[in-house]
Amino acid sequence: MADTQWEVYEVFHQQSRGDPHIYVGSVHAPDAEMALVLAKEQYARRQACVNLWVVPASAILATEYADEDIFDRATDKSYRESWGYKTPKTIRASQDEGAKRDDD
Amino acid sequence: MTTIETPEALSVITKEAVVDLLYRMADDELMIGHRNSEWTGHAPILEEDIAFSSMAQDEIGHAHVYYQLLHELGEADPDTLAFGRKQRAYRCAALVSLPKNDWAFTIVRQFLYDASEQVRLAALSACNYSPLANLATKLRSEEKYHMMHGRSWILRLGNPTEKSHEKMQAALDKAYPYATGLFEPSEYCQPLLQAGICPTENELKSQWESAVAPVLADAGLTIPASCKPVYGGRVGKHPAELAQLLEGLQLVYKIDPSAKW
Repeated sequence: MADTQWEVYEVFHQQSRGDPHIYVGSVHAPDAEMALVLAKEQYARRQACVNLWVVPASAILATEYADEDIFDRATDKSYRESWGYKTPKTIRASQDEGAKRDDD
Repeated sequence: MTTIETPEALSVITKEAVVDLLYRMADDELMIGHRNSEWTGHAPILEEDIAFSSMAQDEIGHAHVYYQLLHELGEADPDTLAFGRKQRAYRCAALVSLPKNDWAFTIVRQFLYDASEQVRLAALSACNYSPLANLATKLRSEEKYHMMHGRSWILRLGNPTEKSHEKMQAALDKAYPYATGLFEPSEYCQPLLQAGICPTENELKSQWESAVAPVLADAGLTIPASCKPVYGGRVGKHPAELAQLLEGLQLVYKIDPSAKW
C-alpha cells in the first residue's frame, strides 16, 4: 500500500514576544499553511503563545549521532564557560533572586 | 443611542428580543459543538482529530457563556437551559441539527456556520447592550482561527481531484439551503435593529454571502442557484435529527440532573 502519510513539519513555539522560538514537536500536513493551522491546536491550546513557526522536517540537516564525539572536549576548555569569568556582584545577586522566584 | 449596561436597563420588548437572539446563538453553538464532537476519535488524521475536537469545545464554550448571559436576564441556569428543555423550546437552525455525515459535509457546514458567526459577532461587538458587546468582542478571536481552519480545508478539498471536488460540491448543495436558514427572519428583527443591538437577519445574510462566496469560488465550488432557505428552527420546528441528537445530549441529565462530570 502506498504511504498516504503527509509530510512532517517541525513546530517551534514562542511564548511571548522577544522569547526564542522553542522546538515543541511535529505535525503531519499537506503543506506549510495547513501545518500552521494544525500546529496551533496541537501545541498552543494549553500554553500561552504569540507566534508559531513550522519547518519541513526534510529541510533540516542534522549531524549523525555516530559523530557525537565531535562535541567532546579533548582538552580543558573551561575558559569558554561563562562561570570562568568574574561576574559583577549585582548581576549575580539578581540572577540568584530570579532563580529563587522560579523555585517559588 | 446610549449604551445599555445592565439587564434591568433593557426595555421589555428589547429584553425579549435579546433573550430570543441569545437562545438562537446559544442553541446553534451547543448543537454544532455536539455534532462536531462526534468526530472525536474518528477525524481523518490525528492532528485534525485534536484540532476539530478543540473547536467543538470552543463552540460548546460559547454556548455556555451565552446561557450565562441568558441566566443574568432571568432565564434558568446554564445546565437547565442546555439539557433540561423540551425539543420545541430550542431555537437552533436546522443546519446544526443535521448529522455529521462525511468529512466534506462537516467541513462545508462548519465553514458556512463559522462565517455566519463571524459576521454576527462583528456586528454584536459594536451593539448597544454592553454585556453582549463585550462577550462578542472576546469570542471573535476564536472565530478568527475557526475561519482560518475552515478556509484552509475548503480550498484544499475543493480543487485537487475530481472525486474530492464532487464530494465537496455535493456537500455544498446539501448544506447551503440550511445555511441560509441560519438567517431566518423573526418578529424580533425590527426591535433588535431599533435598539441598536443587531442588524436584521437579511443584512447579516448579505454580509455572510460576501464572506463565503470568494472562498467557495477559489475552491472551484458553485453556490447552488435559487435555493430555498430551510426555516423553522428559530420557532422550534426542527428536523427529526434533532430528537436523536437530544437523546444523547440529555441522557445523563435525565437520569440525574445533579450529576457532575
